[in-house]
Amino acid sequence: MSTEENANSEATLTNHPAAESSVGAGSLAPPGAPSIERRQRPRPKISTTPPVPPPPPKLEDYEAIIGKPELDDLRFLARQLRGKTVKMVNSTAVGGGVAEMLNRLVPLLNELEVATKWEVITGGNDFYEVTKGFHNALHGGEYVVTQAVKDIFLMYNEQNRQRMEFAEDLFVIHDPQPAALIRSKERNRGRWVWRCHIDLSNPHPEVWGFLRPFIDQYDAAVFSSPAFSRQLAIPQYLFYPCIDPLSEKNKELDESVVAKVCEDFGIERGRPVITQISRFDRLKDPVGVIQAYKLAKKYVDCQLVLAGGGATDDPEGAAVLQEVMDEAGDDPDVIILNLPPWSAIEINALQRASTLIIQKSLKEGFGLTVAEGLWKGKPVIGGAVGGIPTQVIHKLTGVLVHSVEGCAYQIRYLLTHPEYAGQLGKNGREHVKENFLMTTNVKRWLLLFQILLGTSHPLPPEES
Amino acid sequence: MATAEMPTVARRWARAPFYFNSAAHLIRIGREKANNLAELLDALKLCPDASIFQHTFQTLREHHFIREGFSNDFAHWAFAACNEVGLAERLAGIDIREFTSIAALRQRLLDIVEAYLKQNPRARDRAAFEPFYFSVSEVVVIPTPFVARNLAEFAEGIRQVSLTSIHFHFIDARLRLKLNSNDFSLWLENELDVGRLAERINRIDIYTATLHDVRRAILRVVQSALG
Repeated sequence: MSTEENANSEATLTNHPAAESSVGAGSLAPPGAPSIERRQRPRPKISTTPPVPPPPPKLEDYEAIIGKPELDDLRFLARQLRGKTVKMVNSTAVGGGVAEMLNRLVPLLNELEVATKWEVITGGNDFYEVTKGFHNALHGGEYVVTQAVKDIFLMYNEQNRQRMEFAEDLFVIHDPQPAALIRSKERNRGRWVWRCHIDLSNPHPEVWGFLRPFIDQYDAAVFSSPAFSRQLAIPQYLFYPCIDPLSEKNKELDESVVAKVCEDFGIERGRPVITQISRFDRLKDPVGVIQAYKLAKKYVDCQLVLAGGGATDDPEGAAVLQEVMDEAGDDPDVIILNLPPWSAIEINALQRASTLIIQKSLKEGFGLTVAEGLWKGKPVIGGAVGGIPTQVIHKLTGVLVHSVEGCAYQIRYLLTHPEYAGQLGKNGREHVKENFLMTTNVKRWLLLFQILLGTSHPLPPEES
Repeated sequence: MATAEMPTVARRWARAPFYFNSAAHLIRIGREKANNLAELLDALKLCPDASIFQHTFQTLREHHFIREGFSNDFAHWAFAACNEVGLAERLAGIDIREFTSIAALRQRLLDIVEAYLKQNPRARDRAAFEPFYFSVSEVVVIPTPFVARNLAEFAEGIRQVSLTSIHFHFIDARLRLKLNSNDFSLWLENELDVGRLAERINRIDIYTATLHDVRRAILRVVQSALG
């Protein structure tokens, strides 16, 4: 994004009328609720340039979160791999969830003395056009696989293969873009893992038919959900996507930071806040969230925060933002924030200030914003799609909904049953701690490496 | 509660020490998948022992923080994805502590699902809201630095080890031992001769307690003996 675009991508707060008049509770307020003073909200104050990222955390920084015994387990597993080397390969060094995850995973593995290199493949625009087409087609979209398309994919993979060395003991190739690097397996020792971060449940047959012969040559594949996997001849492992509890988006915040962000965005701390964090995309159903809020608001007082990005540099995002603003009308309690990509602290604060978190997606990948909300101990209402049911175990770590009406009911119920809501939030945080933290993923990689290299021998169930 | 064996137990040395271990688990996605209860029944017959183990024993560790309402993955799926509350209740009623072999546990699951489908034939092919994916857990045992040679050291170990270690010794152990007991109780009985203490620990209810609660309950029992 250019500097000029950055300057224009300042967070916007769009739906608040300047009218200063007081309005009665009217149809949007619960019976007996005090009237709400309609006011012009302050323009949010967000830096228009990205802050300098803090240095990555050290392993010992996680001790306060996961405990010493868990860290000791990691160190023990890593000791079994001492002297082994790992290479991770993906297609981008910055931006996107994979690069974000590797930025944390690779330093931690190295700190554990499992020497790990991260390399990024290169390619021209034609390569990235092809791989973007593949990506969409693997999610079920249409695509025409011509010979030219195949040639471009293979040519860049071959160029990268010639450029790179493959002397390590373990190779982890992320996503389809560099999948054909597996051709180096024949010439070299080492075990190869294909880490697929995308949903392969309904792939375009031709694209999958082209990629599958490469995948079959790997020693193992790793998926983010059983629902995203394919029947393959090689073993398939389950690694949930994870959040870093020490990242800007998830670390503990001083109450003063949360209060400041709320003040900047015009959020009243004394009243319930329900929040959906997601880019302005129809599949996240932001309009449905407003409709659910309106239904719930007939009975319970609350404010709704819809915060996300994607409306500045994406024409479709801008159109969705407009739809959201239209649906919100002039309700001063609907706060719509189009945030720039470097708003991690603000998102963290918004989640922490929330009474409920909503992720009412109609279609979803894994939906890690759910884990972010759960980690902050918040009750979460999630659409029952994609990876959300893995994170939200219905009525145990949150609630799942299938409709606007269901979402509205759960908002009402959770806002009026704070003890139950609190228990869901508490369970949800434990669920994340057990399954969706970066340290759990480090452990999974160490285990997989051990199993593939034969340095450990898993016990059969009756002996475990 | 005081018992006759307590006055001397605090000073007693074990014949053999107790080595606390932990375990690490990696989930491998299985081949079986069920879209309805008929398919669940078929898959229950065919799936590897490791899958039965994963969805009953291991899932308790993964959901250790839930105090009520979670028993095993099959019960949860019958409830949440199939809306078959009666079946869910019966599956949730299975207490894995009664089983010392996977074969017996598998048969119990089959019996329950078969009986339910006989009574409710229309439930057989009704599509579940989401499929049940069978998986297996690959388990690697990890030693810890904690060793107990007497009851005080045992209490210290219980206090310090991870919840995974508690699960490994207290729940997983039943299959390994092929006994309706656990590593802790077995050691207390065989090496420290405190059978009643061992029995009290073995009776701690894992279905109405989180693993944190189990840790606290074991400590309460041991502390009462230490005085």
